[in-house]
Amino acid sequence: MQVTFKIWRQNGPKDKGKFESYPVDDLTDDMSFLEALDHLNERLVVAGKQVIAFEYDCREGICGQCGIFINGRAHGPHDHMTTCQLHMRSFKDGDTIVVEPWRAASFPIIKDLVVDRSAFDRIIEKGAYISSQTGTAPEANAILIPKSVADKAMDAAACIGCGACVATCKNSSAALFTAAKINHLNRLPQGKAEQHTRVKEMTWQMNLEGFGSCTFTGACEVECPEGISISNIAELNARLLKSKISGS
Amino acid sequence: MTTNPLFFRKTAIALTGLFLCLFLIVHLSANCILLLPKELAIPAYNSYSTLLRESPLIKIVAYLLYAAILLHVFYALLVTLRNRKAKPVRYAVNHAGENSSWASRNMGVLGTLILIFIVIHLANFWARIKLGLGEAVPSDPNGNLDVYSVTYELFQNAWFVAFYALMAIPLAWHLHHGLKSGFKTLGFYHQGGLRIIARISLIYAWIMGLGFGIIPIVVFFK
Ligand code: HEM
Ligand code: FES
Repeated sequence: MQVTFKIWRQNGPKDKGKFESYPVDDLTDDMSFLEALDHLNERLVVAGKQVIAFEYDCREGICGQCGIFINGRAHGPHDHMTTCQLHMRSFKDGDTIVVEPWRAASFPIIKDLVVDRSAFDRIIEKGAYISSQTGTAPEANAILIPKSVADKAMDAAACIGCGACVATCKNSSAALFTAAKINHLNRLPQGKAEQHTRVKEMTWQMNLEGFGSCTFTGACEVECPEGISISNIAELNARLLKSKISGS
Repeated sequence: MTTNPLFFRKTAIALTGLFLCLFLIVHLSANCILLLPKELAIPAYNSYSTLLRESPLIKIVAYLLYAAILLHVFYALLVTLRNRKAKPVRYAVNHAGENSSWASRNMGVLGTLILIFIVIHLANFWARIKLGLGEAVPSDPNGNLDVYSVTYELFQNAWFVAFYALMAIPLAWHLHHGLKSGFKTLGFYHQGGLRIIARISLIYAWIMGLGFGIIPIVVFFK
């Protein structure tokens, strides 16, 4: 299989950056997309050129490190999929594949396809946890949680923080990510004690980081590898309103 | 903690937008009088218009309406500018059509078209009837201001008919996304309910688009 990768190369945060084309001809269609990039990088090493910087860790769709904008879609042409789960069989022989880093003011480019997503970490630091004593694990049935509630909390907890929502959103809104983190905890009894400060502080940090406002285009829920529903953002709006009204 | 602009501005847009959506229902219902045969339409339309002009309640509603439009546009501008700043570099290739609707991505463009329409629309009617600019409005046999004739005259001009009819398209598009988005902005998150709201938004947009689009054409051919 032969394709031409047209890849964004940028030497550092301050570099202007530009696209460069790399024809690669000995790929197989059962290679993953990241393996195809590895393959290209090996060629570049042999040729004494700089390898293309891109991120990954688990390569099994759970860590959220591998965000790349591929042929006009976050994580490539499929809905609900991480880049590491994308295979070359999704492309045709002879295709030109345009490969870009996540674009958002709040995700500055570090190098090539690698962006700085620490804005997400700073949002998490504002309340995506519960304050509790550490020690031996509490008795499992001390807090009873109905299955339906646990399931709903898990739906939100599935967020792997890959940043596809911000990348695909025309407003670079981080509302789906932040809503998932907040709803995950606020839906559970353990999260209730700090629910109001959590929602206020985390959304305020989202504002400070320079993300945009959600206008419900719905692109985020399509690109989210975990299929987290955009109704989470509406729920976040309700929670924020409630915490404003309750004044706590 | 201070008010979060990411949410406050959107809430203001949603509240004013939904208020304008309610207004449009009343506005279109009343304008359906124009679809009646002339003998019925003239007295009905003119007495309705007099009723509105003389009601103190409507005066309050009118000021709310002006405020809603101004605030809606003001906050829409702030949100749009901030959102552009958050995405300073666009993708070289972006197949956004595969994950979102065109209207949802172009609410500012659609809104600007509507704003242009509103300005011209107010110049056509409000300026002449309420401000008394231009040619004086005649009275009908019942002694009411003949607002019907103002409408009729305007829509004898094919350019205005085309303009009014075509502008119903961006309006409908704006409303289709705006109505369902507004509910989510205000925190309505029940998933089944949201599906129903999405369907209602589509029906509402069609009714508003067809209704406002057809009236000038019908009046033209009277
Ligand atoms: C008849 C007049 C109008 C009605 C009924 C209307 C209705 C709405 C509604 C219900 C929303 C949704 C609010 C939300 O998502 O929270 C909205 C959003 C918006 N409107 Fe309007 N609107 C009107 C005129 C305008 C005008 C004149 C402009 C601008 C010049 C404008 C620009 C916008 C923008 C930029 C948004 C927000 C973007 C978004 O949510 O995606 N609208 N409108
Ligand atoms: S590398 Fe871990 S999700 Fe893709």
